[in-house]
Amino acid sequence: MIAQEAQYRDWMLAALMGDAGAYRMLLSGLTRHLRSYYARRLDAGAAEDAVQETLIAIHTRRATYDPALPFTAWVYGIARYKLIDEYRRNKRRATVPLDEAGELFGHDDAQEAIAKRDVSKLLAKLPPAKRELVKDIKLDGVSVAEVAARTGLSESAVKVTVHRAIKSLGEDVKEGGDADR
Amino acid sequence: MRTDDLIGQLSANLEPVKRGAIGRLLLGTILIGMIGSAVVMLGMLGLRHDFSGAMMSFGMWTKLAYTLAVAVFAFFLLERAGRPGADMYKPALLMALPVLYIVLLAIIQLSAPGADKHGLMMGHSSQVCAPLVLLTALPTLAATFWVLRRLAPTRLTMAGAIAGLFAGGAGAFVYSFHCTEGAAPFIAIWYTLGILATTALGALLGRHFLRW
Repeated sequence: MIAQEAQYRDWMLAALMGDAGAYRMLLSGLTRHLRSYYARRLDAGAAEDAVQETLIAIHTRRATYDPALPFTAWVYGIARYKLIDEYRRNKRRATVPLDEAGELFGHDDAQEAIAKRDVSKLLAKLPPAKRELVKDIKLDGVSVAEVAARTGLSESAVKVTVHRAIKSLGEDVKEGGDADR
Repeated sequence: MRTDDLIGQLSANLEPVKRGAIGRLLLGTILIGMIGSAVVMLGMLGLRHDFSGAMMSFGMWTKLAYTLAVAVFAFFLLERAGRPGADMYKPALLMALPVLYIVLLAIIQLSAPGADKHGLMMGHSSQVCAPLVLLTALPTLAATFWVLRRLAPTRLTMAGAIAGLFAGGAGAFVYSFHCTEGAAPFIAIWYTLGILATTALGALLGRHFLRW
């Protein structure tokens, strides 16, 4: 049984009776799981679109929830359908597990926030100029050419700088990064 | 739009859902589909010529019981196919009951002393039976697809097959009022073939027409 089942189901039952407050809590709660679920499977823009599409689907199809059945399985069914729909639109073949509601409810974006915090802690160890380069290229996905044009460095200089910075961070983590945990 | 704003909008537009709303929508739509099937049967094929006398015959009841049971058990599956996360395994097992019934009856009739085996299996309309069951089922299949799209099918080929199974059962039920065959072996073979053809058609169409 999924840990959140009882709470979410209560909210859903109240929402089906027209309780907007419970419904808002339910959708906000689900959004955290959905964000993490899609972020691990789609790229950033598509992920947030998929979150919103799923919320709309939950809304328009809410009458199909049968209170005799687990609520988390119902939501997972919809989230999985929207994921497959997204893959299909991009002509990607995919198999998505059928009965893994834990895939959705085992994660929320708080865990991702922790991971992000760890990364920014690590980045803080770099000198500011290098930190910007690493952040642009490795985290924000800016192309090497763009960064080179903006900073006036050559493309190969950008690549080398980023490569060395990552390497030094890696050594940092190996040596004593654990000490500040 | 920001996701938080979306959540605000959706909860501002929340209206209570009436209990049993889905069941009523399903039943109402399916009834309309079956009326369509009846119109096709009466308009293109006609009621069997010996209708009043035949309603008392064993063969007629054999057909009606088999096809109605297929439709009713498929309806349970259909209702679940439109609900994400619903378990379909147990209701799928129920489908074995009508099949078992017609197969047992067919074996009994075939093994009777002096039975005309060929006649019992082939009747006089084996060529047209399955295609006509499929034809009669089409209006019901269309209605079933229409209503299923308004629910939330998440496995489209499976949902399409179930819609086809239901429409096949319902179509065969309606077709029973035209067809004069009554031997269980004939029904077990040709009616079942017509129902399976409708199921296959539903499965093929599912992924294209059940998307929502």
